[in-house]
Amino acid sequence: MLTVSLEHDHPKLALDFQLPRGQVSAIVGPSGSGKTSVLRAVAGLLSTRSARISLEGDTWADTERGVFLPAYQRPLGFVGQRYALFPHLSAVANVAAALVHLRGAERQREAQAGLDAVGIGGLASRSPSALSGGQCQRVAMARALARKPRLLLLDEPFSALDRSTRKRLHVELKRLQAGLGMTVVLVTHDLDEAAQLSQTLCLLRRGRVLQSGSTPEVLRQPASVEAARLMDFSNLAKAEWVGTDREGATLRWGELVLRAATKVVSKPGATVSWTIRSSDVFLVKDGHPDESSLGILASARVTEIISMGGSILVTVSVDHSGGEPLRMRLRPGAVHRHGVHVGCRLRIALHPEAVIVLA
Amino acid sequence: MTRLGRTFLLLLASIGLLIGAEASAAEGPLVAAAASTRAALEDVAARYLEATGESVRLVFASSGMLAQQIENGAPFGLFLSANGAYVTRLANAGWTRGAPVVYAGGVLALFTRHGLLDVNTKPLAALRRALTAGRIERFVIANPEHAPYGSAARAALGDAGLWEKVRPLLLLGANAGQAVQYSIQAGVDAALVPLSLARAAALAQLGDLQLLPAASHPDMPLHQVMVMLQNSDVATQRFFEYLQSTDAQAAFIHHGLKLPTLALE
Amino acid sequence: MDWSALSLSLELAVWTLALLLPVGILIGRWLARTEFRGRPLLQAICALPLVLPPTVVGYYLLTFMGARSPLGTAIDAWFGLSLVFSFPGLVFASLLVNLPFAVLPVQRAFEGVSQELHDAAACCGMNPWRVFARIEMPLAWPGVLSAAVLTFGHTLGEFGVVLMVGGNIPGETRTLSIAIFDRIQAFDPGAAGRMAALLLLISLVTVALGYGALEGRARRGAGQG
Repeated sequence: MLTVSLEHDHPKLALDFQLPRGQVSAIVGPSGSGKTSVLRAVAGLLSTRSARISLEGDTWADTERGVFLPAYQRPLGFVGQRYALFPHLSAVANVAAALVHLRGAERQREAQAGLDAVGIGGLASRSPSALSGGQCQRVAMARALARKPRLLLLDEPFSALDRSTRKRLHVELKRLQAGLGMTVVLVTHDLDEAAQLSQTLCLLRRGRVLQSGSTPEVLRQPASVEAARLMDFSNLAKAEWVGTDREGATLRWGELVLRAATKVVSKPGATVSWTIRSSDVFLVKDGHPDESSLGILASARVTEIISMGGSILVTVSVDHSGGEPLRMRLRPGAVHRHGVHVGCRLRIALHPEAVIVLA
Repeated sequence: MTRLGRTFLLLLASIGLLIGAEASAAEGPLVAAAASTRAALEDVAARYLEATGESVRLVFASSGMLAQQIENGAPFGLFLSANGAYVTRLANAGWTRGAPVVYAGGVLALFTRHGLLDVNTKPLAALRRALTAGRIERFVIANPEHAPYGSAARAALGDAGLWEKVRPLLLLGANAGQAVQYSIQAGVDAALVPLSLARAAALAQLGDLQLLPAASHPDMPLHQVMVMLQNSDVATQRFFEYLQSTDAQAAFIHHGLKLPTLALE
Repeated sequence: MDWSALSLSLELAVWTLALLLPVGILIGRWLARTEFRGRPLLQAICALPLVLPPTVVGYYLLTFMGARSPLGTAIDAWFGLSLVFSFPGLVFASLLVNLPFAVLPVQRAFEGVSQELHDAAACCGMNPWRVFARIEMPLAWPGVLSAAVLTFGHTLGEFGVVLMVGGNIPGETRTLSIAIFDRIQAFDPGAAGRMAALLLLISLVTVALGYGALEGRARRGAGQG
């Protein structure tokens, strides 16, 4: 378990979280959220006003007891956004540089093996200037893993790469991590990347943790309006809490009654925020065999249509509702088939499982 | 470090050490002398070497500069100044040993480019005429502030009532030697320089060289005064005495200086 | 040809280089890597000899180190050494005057080693010494070489300070540049010209070797790809 507790002024940090051992954990946040600073603090590259950092019981930093291990004394590997390969050393020499505890032939062998493990053993004698971005990243990875560290820190390592290289490296990373069983902390601003790679997700904003937990849980159930915004839930509205029963809660959105399959509890009459994914707002076709299974039905009028290549964003104003517009994500085919255009009327369905109540 | 860089440094170090090993260790009296006496003293030193087998190290600069260096601890043993005032100053501050000796007199010469001055006229009068006619654009003297020949030149010009006319045309040499240097190279029209240096630089081949009449410049400032310094040793004492011998005086006269109270030959 | 003057010039240059280069590396690296409040001031002080006329530097050295000064008398009393009109004095003056040449190129070179590289090296388990020797120095080497060439060449040609602080003492402080000046004063342009040509040749060879070494390194680096 990696325990991190930090307080700092420039940048502003006030957080306290734990990440499980042997898994990939992602720290996600917008730029300026402090996520790189958090990673650097964990690495020992940044010393904060107050810190308590420990990995599986080994204390790496504890300001109260005056403990601070500098980075080179922490058994970790670090891969940054721009790889930071030593330009005057060949690929294999870069990896060998990390093997400070070995000598001569053994060092060379280990370094070569490290390059082999990331699939570029044949490029050993090349200089970094002669390698592509993806190859550089692999060398950086091999260098970070050379000492068989207990913790691997990745600071947006794939953001400078093109899409196909990125996808390939995602697979590599999963393979490596599974093989070595080490704890990985991945910092990224790309929620999709985090969703694909991580088992634990930690949302960061302005130096504070908004939400932390298993990735599917966090993605499905934002804990707050801020978290929802961060995870790009574009529909946010307010409703009045009516009551709760065994199957979930009842809300009143304007005059519309909504059902939400949620465990959140509030007081009758209180105002709560709720959200629904744009991909979960369902377009109801006429003549659907079992309409009621789709959820709460409502009529709406289309106010805006934005085409975004593979999907179309349709903004609708729902009748008798609290007034906030809802955005739907539809396939181009569906839009054509139903003749959706600005000003036309259609029916939508909001399934209780898709309606998320925010604390 | 590259192999090239390493080899280079080693090469340099060896050169330095090797040549350094050859270079002479400190030897012979160290003599500070006014620049204007260079030719004369080099001759005297050569004669001394021949006569005694001892070599002398000579350092030439303007008397004022040398005096200042001595006051700052320069390790000279003997000081030959072109101006008695500097010697007095050093004596008062305790830098000298023994009494100063006037060993020669300096002579000021007027150098003009060919044809500038009317012939068969007294030099200063001809100079006045040339100045009034505007035929002189550049006039060189040594810096009057700290070069004795410079202040003597100023005094001579002042006495003749020419200083104000000459002043805007002045090109100052840092010392008497530089004044002669300018006379050779800088396309000057006229210069007042030590005769000794003018001869050494063969100025007579580049223009007209005339002596100023003895009465035209006050004698005192151009007394060539020498004195032993605190840093001196026995060898220096020997050279000091040789400088007062007839041998040395012959050399002085040959190179454009005069004996203190005797007329110029 | 004044061989003793030549040897003095070379000795002065070699001594200055040998003593100043380590200092330049220390100070240059410190200025590049450490942020502290007085940093701009220290940088200005290191660059000062570039803008001061050498005679001014010489004048101050005479005033503070000369026989009349408290410091000069003290050093003479303790070590029997004079820092004016002596070869050690020349070396001392040369160290001061060449400080910018030894510090500035080195500082730039170390600044060129990015923080990211330092971070990466630390995360590889390299302690600060190792980072300095294996990462910083190899990358900063061109700057160090520049500093060496500049310092050496500049010392060979140094005149103003040497004249003020050293006087013109044969075998002790009469370097080649002073000897050239002296020959001119003696209306002997022939000898002056010969010595000047030699000085020019040596300086040219020094700088050429320096640039040659830099070039060779660049070529080797590119050829690895």
